[in-house]
Amino acid sequence: MSKRVLTVDDDPDIIMFVKTVLEENGYIPLIAMNGETGLSIARDEGPDLIILDVLMPKQSGIRMYRELKGDDALKDIPVIILSGIARRTFLRSQEALTEFGDQPVPEPEVYMEKPVEPAELAEVIADLIDRS
Amino acid sequence: MMDMNKILLIDDEEDSLDGLSLSLKNEGYDVISASSGKEGLDAFEREAPSIVLTDLNMPGMDGIAVLKRVKNRNPDTEVIVITGHGDMDSAIDALRYGASDFITKPVREEALHLALQRAREKLIIRERFRAYTADLENMCHIAIGEVKRKSDFQDKLITSSNDGVVATDEDGRIIIFNPEAEAIFGIPRINVVRKLDFRQLFPSQIADLFSQMFGSGRGMRDVGWRDVMIPRKGGDDVPTRFSGTLLFDGEDIIGSVGFFQDLREIKRLEKELVKSERLAAIGQTVARLAHYIKNILAGLKGGTYVVNIGLDKNDTDKLRTGWQMVERNVGRISYLVTDLLAYSKEREPEYRKCLPNDIAEDVCELLDRMAMENRIKVERGFDPSIKEVSMDPDMVHSTLLNLVSNAVDACIFDLDEKKRHTVRVGTQLEDDNVIRFTVNDNGCGMSEGTRNKIFSAFFSTKGGKGTGLGLLVVQKLVQEQNGSIEILSELGEGSTFIVRLPYGKVE
Repeated sequence: MSKRVLTVDDDPDIIMFVKTVLEENGYIPLIAMNGETGLSIARDEGPDLIILDVLMPKQSGIRMYRELKGDDALKDIPVIILSGIARRTFLRSQEALTEFGDQPVPEPEVYMEKPVEPAELAEVIADLIDRS
Repeated sequence: MMDMNKILLIDDEEDSLDGLSLSLKNEGYDVISASSGKEGLDAFEREAPSIVLTDLNMPGMDGIAVLKRVKNRNPDTEVIVITGHGDMDSAIDALRYGASDFITKPVREEALHLALQRAREKLIIRERFRAYTADLENMCHIAIGEVKRKSDFQDKLITSSNDGVVATDEDGRIIIFNPEAEAIFGIPRINVVRKLDFRQLFPSQIADLFSQMFGSGRGMRDVGWRDVMIPRKGGDDVPTRFSGTLLFDGEDIIGSVGFFQDLREIKRLEKELVKSERLAAIGQTVARLAHYIKNILAGLKGGTYVVNIGLDKNDTDKLRTGWQMVERNVGRISYLVTDLLAYSKEREPEYRKCLPNDIAEDVCELLDRMAMENRIKVERGFDPSIKEVSMDPDMVHSTLLNLVSNAVDACIFDLDEKKRHTVRVGTQLEDDNVIRFTVNDNGCGMSEGTRNKIFSAFFSTKGGKGTGLGLLVVQKLVQEQNGSIEILSELGEGSTFIVRLPYGKVE
């Protein structure tokens, strides 16, 4: 059975790009345009992998990541952060939230900066799904 | 302390000498006896008694001569003379030459006792007086030392002050001109102190103020800090901060003092700071631009990838989708370029006939769809009395488009999901041929820190999704249209941008 990959991004171009990469490589894409929808799809569908943009309106990417990693039912789903911001900026923002009293969260399995090559993305996806 | 018990006793009559000596010794005195004036003086030199008791009537050197010599040697010695009975003249003579008392022969015990007691009292008083005087002198010396130390300290303070200090006497003649003043004015002290008047030294701007101050009695006492350029012969003027004050002793003017702070170093640092800030701004600009372009590039790459898939598989849907992605990102680049050009190029308004309410409506319609997708209402409140006017419609359009799309973004980015997000766009005819455009939202609002930075180049709170140019463009457009912009905002409550633009009447 084909593996299902949830991609969450507010940029329709990225959604379309990732969706095409997924389809071309034989995965079933699930799509959410914001963190709230993404989280409810993750809970309902239990995808094999989540590709998440962190920089979305209302901090919903950053929040969704924390929710995922703080939820026992979801925390083992591997996450690829696909973002326009640098990796260290993302990690710093997570640290800041931790300092404000939230539970610390583990680093994402893979962090990729946009723009990303389709072949590279496919490789990373395959890697994570095979591993799990 | 002198020995007040030591008495020199001089008498040529053997019996009298012995008798007196005995009775004095009985009273506890240390008695030195001499039987002639000559012998008495020798003993005086040798023993330095504090009290001398001498008979007046003696052969050879008499008592008056002894008195004179003793007083000459040591004026503090108490000399009591012994006179013959009824010999008042000699007694008066002796008192005139400094004897402290006289007693008559035959010497009565009580008289002797009293005279000695008085002599001793005088000695004690004199001794105390001397000690007191010495004390006074000592204190005086200390006080003078302290005053001198303070004055030296003040001297050093003035000399080593970082401020140029210029002080004058009550006539305005310069009496203090410290090394820093020399450096600021470029004139050696020796050519200034007691040679120049402040009117000849100070630039006219402050010389006039000082003259007024001197003339006003007590009316005007000081000149507050202000920037003053000090002209220099054959060199650059020196920028300084100046303040000055009159000096009073009670009600009387006793002089004036002026302080000059050399601002050359500060100005140099300011220039350097401006330069380094500009360099930093350029660096930031490049980084922001690169980031924004990277996002567009991601979209373009995605687009070409999808197009290629479509071509490979002969899939028209994919081809169309990919091509739309490419087009959308080409559009983003052209927005960016337009913004950059609008920001960097000077542009004169091109006045044409137009309807401001129609422009505002057009902008609202452009953003309606995006607002609706995010459950944001765009409300219009247009003043129907606004008719056709002469303005630059393109500039008005760009201005409003930037502000309204910011307002929509402020709602999208708002974390408060219970709010019913609304953007209100309004127009209002004001007096003096001005139209007021108001764009209000109840979105995330701005902190004071954000509020202070919104007009800096490439400042954006929208992450990679804003160019950080929109409000800069707005500011520039408003300036070019001779308008004004006003911002009210509270974090978590929303923001209001009010733009006032003048218009020309249409015939």
